[in-house]
Amino acid sequence: MTLKNSSPIPLSCAEFQEQLPDLFAAGSGAIHDPQLTEHLKTCENCSALVRDLQYIADQAKQLLQPTHEPSDSVWKKIQEGLAADSSLVPEPSKN
Amino acid sequence: MEVQGLQMTEAKTAPGLFKRNPPIAGEAEAIERAKAGDAEAFSKLYALHKRRVYTLCLRMLGNVSEAEDMTQEAFLHLFRKIGSFRGESAFSTWLHRLTVNLVLMHLRKKGLQLVSLEETINPSEEDSPKRDFGSRDTQLAGSVDRVALERAVASLPPGYRMVFVLHDVEGFEHNEIAGMLECSTGNSKSQLHKARLKLRELLRRSESTAQAEVKEAAL
Repeated sequence: MTLKNSSPIPLSCAEFQEQLPDLFAAGSGAIHDPQLTEHLKTCENCSALVRDLQYIADQAKQLLQPTHEPSDSVWKKIQEGLAADSSLVPEPSKN
Repeated sequence: MEVQGLQMTEAKTAPGLFKRNPPIAGEAEAIERAKAGDAEAFSKLYALHKRRVYTLCLRMLGNVSEAEDMTQEAFLHLFRKIGSFRGESAFSTWLHRLTVNLVLMHLRKKGLQLVSLEETINPSEEDSPKRDFGSRDTQLAGSVDRVALERAVASLPPGYRMVFVLHDVEGFEHNEIAGMLECSTGNSKSQLHKARLKLRELLRRSESTAQAEVKEAAL
């Protein structure tokens, strides 16, 4: 007997969401697993969740640009540290 | 401060990290001069990188005073070790790895055991992101601004914030994070996922508060 119906077994939201950490870690941006794509097609809630998590990951990249600046006292202390400890003269390059 | 156990070897870096951290004009020359002990070159390197190093420390520690102390330590350590920088990765990537290692050592000294994230810096039930089965809330509007995101990241529980900053902001891979935090890659993936879920929750909450304020103002 052969199986005529090759549709994937439907996943619950819990089962789908359990796969998300690995899915995002794979990082390809496209979902190839038929069970997962089928669930995404039919579940508005999980597709919104995936879009939001992707959006957050994308937006995080803009945080790489720094927004904060240390106070002037930090550089002063570094200079004091450099002056106080002669061992802080950098190790000569081995190149 | 005697710094022990820091691994300052340059990890083999994917070309993408150079794309993410492109060289800065004048940086290469300053590095070479700094290696020869030129104090002015140190000053230039500090000026070029102080904001990113400090921002990284601040995000990881959530405390201005500690972040300034660690920025100071990171640059002092940089000036000691700059001779070992061979240019196999972007300088900023190397400097950030050095900074992250120093911050993690600092946290360990404070008693925060990073060996097992699940057992030690995992947030309480109250802080955990809510599972999202079947709720009918709308998705994020797609217009989350930088300030809102920064605020939400700052309010994450420390374990989540650490992995989120290292992976999504700084661009470290899960295996690198696992090495730094002495946890499994699976643990790193799981913490990152929970961090993003928690951020979603926080951002949706702040969006709905803002919408309520606009409605109230319109009345």
